[in-house]
Amino acid sequence: MKVLLVEDEKTLAFEIELFLKKSFYLCDMAHTAQSSLQYLSANQYDFILLDLGLPDMDGLKLLLEAKKLNPEAAYIILTARGKTEDRIAGLDLGADDYLPKPFSLPELHSRMQAIARRKYRLNNSEVSIGEFVVDIQKRIIRHHETEIELSRKEFDLLSYLLLHKNRPLTRMQLSEHIWGNFIEDDNESNYIDVHVKNVRKKLGAFASTEWLETIRGVGYKIRKQA
Amino acid sequence: MAGNNKGRRLQNKKTGVKLLNKLTLSITLSKLGIVLLFIIILPFIVERVASEYTNYHLRNQKEAVMKSIAWNGVNYYLEGDDSYGSYTMLKEEYISLEASPDIRLDTIETTRRLVERDTLVYRVLSYTFQEKGKTYLLEVGKKLTSINEYNRPLQRIALYVLIGLIILSSIIDLLYTRYLLRPLQLIIKSKLLKQSFPFKETAKPVQTTTADFKYLDSSLISLMDQIREAFEKEREFTANASHELMTPISILKSKIENMIIQEDASEDNLQRLTELMTTVSRLSRIVNSLLMISRIENDQYLMKEEVDVKELVLEVVTELEDRIQGSEIQIDLSLKESFIFQPSNKDLLFQLIYNLLNNAIKYNVPKGSIRITDRYSPEHRYELMISDTGIGISSADIPLIFNRFKKVHVQRSSGGYGLGLAISKTIADYHHIEIGVESEPDKGTTFTLLFPVSKA
Repeated sequence: MKVLLVEDEKTLAFEIELFLKKSFYLCDMAHTAQSSLQYLSANQYDFILLDLGLPDMDGLKLLLEAKKLNPEAAYIILTARGKTEDRIAGLDLGADDYLPKPFSLPELHSRMQAIARRKYRLNNSEVSIGEFVVDIQKRIIRHHETEIELSRKEFDLLSYLLLHKNRPLTRMQLSEHIWGNFIEDDNESNYIDVHVKNVRKKLGAFASTEWLETIRGVGYKIRKQA
Repeated sequence: MAGNNKGRRLQNKKTGVKLLNKLTLSITLSKLGIVLLFIIILPFIVERVASEYTNYHLRNQKEAVMKSIAWNGVNYYLEGDDSYGSYTMLKEEYISLEASPDIRLDTIETTRRLVERDTLVYRVLSYTFQEKGKTYLLEVGKKLTSINEYNRPLQRIALYVLIGLIILSSIIDLLYTRYLLRPLQLIIKSKLLKQSFPFKETAKPVQTTTADFKYLDSSLISLMDQIREAFEKEREFTANASHELMTPISILKSKIENMIIQEDASEDNLQRLTELMTTVSRLSRIVNSLLMISRIENDQYLMKEEVDVKELVLEVVTELEDRIQGSEIQIDLSLKESFIFQPSNKDLLFQLIYNLLNNAIKYNVPKGSIRITDRYSPEHRYELMISDTGIGISSADIPLIFNRFKKVHVQRSSGGYGLGLAISKTIADYHHIEIGVESEPDKGTTFTLLFPVSKA
């Protein structure tokens, strides 16, 4: 999928680009509103990641301009402003999602996936892992024909790990995905261990869960199967 | 904080004596003193005045008599006798005329006279004059009791009149002093009683022509402005600093995340990067919390929603269900009243209750319990209580837990209470909810939210 990243902070832009490329996106970068409009008039993108705080144009105005040039694209606003009004205004103007800085790169990726599933109505949201099949959209996990009941947070955790298969995710990244802004101190990431324990227990009753690996001192990872 | 100050101020007002009353009392007392002094010395004055007047009267009589004598001749009165005497009926005055040895006399003195067996005290003018070679003595007398008997009624009347005057003038003083002091009361009311920190705008000056009050008022206004400016600057700084910090934190975070997914990272480095990420996350949480507090204080959250508190509590409990189960905590949720709170901001209220419940879980003992109850206070205000059986807060720490800049250390937690309670306090203040806490170490803590009455 093709992504246009509009971000004036170059160091940050390069990091986002690096991550997206590793996740197999094609990525163009623009550091000003002017250059982004040039990109937009020449290409059609699937995703446009838009920083609202650009030096040469108000971000919301650029959003309106961009929508004329690329009406089909999915728009995600990235901003350090984070005012409630900006968020409402952005979504009113047709943005698909809104990520306040500092955001997590895996989180950005999972938001893009969610939009892709919604927007492009991907029918096949089923992923198989070990002897289990997970339907991320319908929030179901099955072992053959048996449906296994996971709590909401447990399912969030499992699907986040699945989405970033073969990449280690730290407890903090997992906590931030599951609880968003409600984390109060570092110790709260210990709850992740409880959730993982429960997932292993519930799934382990049916088949092996050795694909769900613990990385000591870091977090967890779902191993890509051979 | 503001509430306590107000309470203390009201107490002061009750115990002291009002300036107005003090002034009126002192003016009245000093008037009363002067009047009493006057009434005490009144007899002396009256006596003196009366005696002067009597002398004057006697001399006038003498002049009149002398004039008659000059006109009629002495013999017209003496009628051949040696002496002539005339009394008024009650012997209050007399005039006597008699031949006398050749001496010169013109005196006024107080003497006793025997009149028809009564000894009476008279003020007597004695005057000698000559006519046809003979010397005569004229005496004009006036009884002294008749002079003095005016004294007592005079004193009494003076007393009545003066007391009446004192009462009248005290009332006038009271009214005028009250009028004079009105600006002072207005200053107290508008600058001190009705104000609560933070001051939102410049206070209006009180109209007065009294220079001292003008000075007091303008000094108070400028003081309040200085405080407000300092507070505004602090708010602005927090907002700007937080905002400026977000971008570098974002960069750090992204870089670390990219390094973690690098396949060639060693296990050792991976752990270091994880620790680094945890630290960056903590930094980002602190900045976010400060930013949130400053946004609330800058009125950036809309207060337009209606929130069913009971439903909201259920939502929070559902959100935290995993943690409650994970810690094997019994939760006793018995909300019996219904309360729709408006105007409010649902996201903020969610955060408020989330923070309190999360603390109740976090600082609980294993297999402890949490009770969430509600009731209507006697003033018909809805009250929500969240009690835990946790480690509690020592009484010395209680005043500090809501303070964003003071850190209370708790044994079980590395980071103390964090900014969660400071945020809760800010959200509660923003909604005019009174947040209270009661706690006993090792027994548990109860947080109470006393909601204001909803505005339709």
